[in-house]
Amino acid sequence: MIEGHIARAFDGALLALHLKIVEMGGLALDQAREAVRAYEEWSLQAATRVMEREHRVNAYDREIDREQLTLIARRQPVGSDLRIIIAMSKMVGELERVGDEAKKIARVVIDDTGRPPGATSRDAVHLGKLAQDLLRMALDAVDRLDFALAAKVIPGDRELDAEYAAGLRRLLTRAMENPRGFEVTVQAAFVLKSLERIGDHARNLARHVLSMQARF
Amino acid sequence: MSVPAPHVEASDGESASGRKRDAPVVKFDIRHLDFFYGEHRALKDINLQLADRAVTAFIGPSGCGKSTLLRILNRMYALYPGQRATGEALLDGENILQPGVDVTSLRFRVGMVFQKPTPFPMSVFDNVAFGLRLARRMPRAELAVQVERALRDAAIWDEVKDKLHEDGRGLSGGQQQRLCIARTIALQPEVILLDEPTAALDPISTLRIEETLQGLCSKYCIIIVTHNLQQAARISSTTAFMYMGELVEAGPTERIFTSPQQRRTDDYVTGRFG
Repeated sequence: MIEGHIARAFDGALLALHLKIVEMGGLALDQAREAVRAYEEWSLQAATRVMEREHRVNAYDREIDREQLTLIARRQPVGSDLRIIIAMSKMVGELERVGDEAKKIARVVIDDTGRPPGATSRDAVHLGKLAQDLLRMALDAVDRLDFALAAKVIPGDRELDAEYAAGLRRLLTRAMENPRGFEVTVQAAFVLKSLERIGDHARNLARHVLSMQARF
Repeated sequence: MSVPAPHVEASDGESASGRKRDAPVVKFDIRHLDFFYGEHRALKDINLQLADRAVTAFIGPSGCGKSTLLRILNRMYALYPGQRATGEALLDGENILQPGVDVTSLRFRVGMVFQKPTPFPMSVFDNVAFGLRLARRMPRAELAVQVERALRDAAIWDEVKDKLHEDGRGLSGGQQQRLCIARTIALQPEVILLDEPTAALDPISTLRIEETLQGLCSKYCIIIVTHNLQQAARISSTTAFMYMGELVEAGPTERIFTSPQQRRTDDYVTGRFG
């Protein structure tokens, strides 16, 4: 799908771009994993690691953006090449936002407003696992340009949304039972929201893969 | 090899609401057109409608038949023995391939501009007046009006108005080509055929020609053969992709260059073969 141009250098440039996006995806997934671990274990060390690596996600964003501009200027892509490059550009945006959500979760641990109770932590871990599974599946679809796999991500996100709604209800119920932990509850709600957003970004990644599909 | 039917779609059709937008007027309706160089079948069952007051681009690799198709539209092929076309090419409903068609009148209606600028060895004024004088007698004053109109329409008037009586061959390549366009439109044709009109020009002259064509497309049916895909993307409203004598796909230019419906079209426009 990417290869086969008469200009082999164009093949090379597109493949390099694709590889870089897959690498960026790996980093974004690891950021999400590390952020959830930091929240679960209330690990300042893991949270700090997420914050320190955030600039690497942003660096990928800038680097890929520059390479895409160069590719567009030099090759003036059309047809499937144009759709691929535009889709890749949007993917980078999604991955950058996954990194932002991971950073928000890590920030909660670093601010140390209070460790969540076990039940809240378990909900976050459960939602985090679903979000990571979805992101991993979306990234596999990106890596292999697998349209069938990408199509499976979309219903997965609906399941995650339902889990988020249920988790939020449980959180609010617990908050009503114990209003003293108000700030912890608010932070936990933000964490759940960030995980739900990571699921949305995974779904969007899958949609961008599907947008590369030809009409013939 | 079996050949799938080409996807042919007009650039304007019904809107989502089901109401007809301003449907394009079909100027040329090409039906089951075949063309033969002796025994060689160079065009194979071409079916295509060309809209009036629009630019249609023919693209495809060398030898695919796009110039051949263009040259059928003003019966240029009739100059060469052993070449014949079958099927129909209806210009406003009249089949120009019929034996009784007056080819001279046809070429007044369907003008042509070639790859290399071909100014006649005479003044700028006389280059444009040449066809007009052939077409009919007219007073000098009217001739001057017609020449100026053609030069203005070809977007070259400002550049040549002070050297109308200098040799046309002294102009730059881009100016010479616009002079040839002026010479063509002086006769007030209905269709303008352009066979790679900017292939021999620099990028700025190319842009000037493209701008000229954009200005002309509100009055004429313009058909351009080009190897420059970006040019087709820039100036045409409909693009037809040809390959090995077949029309593979024709449709709105934005679709051909973003999401073609045939793999061969995508492979060609993305530079995977050709």
